[in-house]
Amino acid sequence: MEIKYTIQGLLIYITIAVYLLAFVAAVARRARAGRIMFAAGFLLATVSCAYRWYDVRHVPLQNLFEIFLFLGVACYPISWFCRRFLRVGGQWADMLIGAIVLVPAGFVFNAHPMQLPPALQSWLFAPHVAVYMFAYVFMFKAMFHAFEQLIVTPDAERTLLPPEQATYELIAIGFPLLTLGLVLGSWWGKLAWGDYWGWDPKELWSLASWLVYLGYFHWRYMFGKIHARINSLWAIAGMAAIIITLLWVNLSRLFPGLHSYAM
Amino acid sequence: MIRFRRAVLWAALIAVILLAVLSVYGAFLGTDGAQAFFNSLPLAAYWLALTVLLIVGLVVFRRLLQIPSLLLMHVGCVLVLLGGMWGSNAGHVVQRQFLGIDKVPKGQMMIREQAEDNRVIAADSNEPRQLPFSVRLKDFRMEYYKPGTLFIRSQAGQMWELPAEAGARLSLGNTFGWVFVQRVFENFKLRKEDGKTVPYDAPGGSNPALQVVIERPDGTTTAGYVFEQFQPIFTEPVDLNLIYRRVVRDYISDLEIVQNGEVAAAKEIEVNHPLHYGGYHFYQHSYGEDELGEYTVLLVVSDSGLNLVYGGYMMLIAGVAWHFWGRRTLIAIKSRRMITPQAEQELPVAPGRQE
Repeated sequence: MEIKYTIQGLLIYITIAVYLLAFVAAVARRARAGRIMFAAGFLLATVSCAYRWYDVRHVPLQNLFEIFLFLGVACYPISWFCRRFLRVGGQWADMLIGAIVLVPAGFVFNAHPMQLPPALQSWLFAPHVAVYMFAYVFMFKAMFHAFEQLIVTPDAERTLLPPEQATYELIAIGFPLLTLGLVLGSWWGKLAWGDYWGWDPKELWSLASWLVYLGYFHWRYMFGKIHARINSLWAIAGMAAIIITLLWVNLSRLFPGLHSYAM
Repeated sequence: MIRFRRAVLWAALIAVILLAVLSVYGAFLGTDGAQAFFNSLPLAAYWLALTVLLIVGLVVFRRLLQIPSLLLMHVGCVLVLLGGMWGSNAGHVVQRQFLGIDKVPKGQMMIREQAEDNRVIAADSNEPRQLPFSVRLKDFRMEYYKPGTLFIRSQAGQMWELPAEAGARLSLGNTFGWVFVQRVFENFKLRKEDGKTVPYDAPGGSNPALQVVIERPDGTTTAGYVFEQFQPIFTEPVDLNLIYRRVVRDYISDLEIVQNGEVAAAKEIEVNHPLHYGGYHFYQHSYGEDELGEYTVLLVVSDSGLNLVYGGYMMLIAGVAWHFWGRRTLIAIKSRRMITPQAEQELPVAPGRQE
């Protein structure tokens, strides 16, 4: 555990607190107060990310600290998009996700600024990572709804989409982003290392994640109505693969590879 | 026919699950192990079977041909697989035996400054092979982020960092006093001036160093030099460990391709910016220095199958984006409302349900 006695750390801790307050307000059915605090948390997370950008002088997506900082920013716009355009609810979950993803940034990962190694000095760096992070937040939200489908009894009078449908909508938005991230990474790998596919553990886990969601679509197409609950298991399995791709591959010594610098 | 379609759908699902499981297994093998595993004979059979399955799917499911986004996705995957197989080591053997195209799939070249060479050490055999043209290295250089960093460590394990630029100073507390950086050298040398030995920054070469002064709490000072490549030198012993480090920003090789005695192409290659010529990509891979001078190591990779893979990628992205975003947005706009469960009903359903 690493407590950060810096402006950066302070911003992260305040953001976590505000996101948690928003979550508590939402759960306590103070929807308006929850929404205002969620927006305030987003502004703080944005300031924190911008401060990091200014500090390190490059797009802050280089290591796990910066990645989790960015995830803390991405939660709010994705939540707004889902509610506004997809009629997918679960804003309370988004507030909680915002707080959860900032905890590793605040307490676990080293925030020591690092200069970009030559391989990361590419215009593909920011879009490749950012697209993946947006996809991950969509898939994380999808996992929440998948659990909701498995655990909660359906409410016939709800105005938002039912959980299974919401899971599908979210994965349908996240999957193209996941595909784009994979292809951009492959293209970048060709430019930087000479191979569009290097059989690196991170690449293989990201392929496995992509394939699980591909399997989700095929399964849902074949048996989606007959075995609807199994659709949700696919969505949960996909998120499990993503968590391993994002964390375990970089933190474990089991998977040395070209992406090790992302720690 | 219906049974056959069902069998194809099941085969597709099993193929996807199998590849996901194999990918996880491959991740535990490490990069080299996974590469060998996924290029082994049983996996080559799997890749072929997957390609055939996709093509069969395109033939037996009319929907895949009728809906452009589905067609793009599936044809894109076929192209990626075909491109991958065509560009593999086995694909190069097939090209050589049946089409007479003799290319090195992958290898390395070591070239000294102002020298040219056409020999590639092939990665698959470790044997030297020859390119139909030569590569000349005009210059190799490394660029660094500025400033570097002076790391200071006490014997008790306390750590400090100071930007390595002239005029920088840092307090080390009441025990150790202050550290000043007086001067930064790119290539530290000594010469005699009026009988005294004085340091100077010589042009060319590379011996980075810092002129440093340590001021103790009692006001006494010690001057010295901290080198990047050698041990520091001080006028008297200091109880601090000082290290000078610079971070590499880029490795650059200035290359020329020489064919029939003429320069056919030229480029300064660096990481992320390879040179493409004659069916090969040339990448900045490594560098070194020995008694004969500096040399660069280039990675040479055949571009066989690359256009198929990139074409497949574009089709896959276009198909996925149109299927999941474009089509649904269009449905939403047409129905003048946001995507709803009703809009979802307009999307195609499974053939099992149609039947």
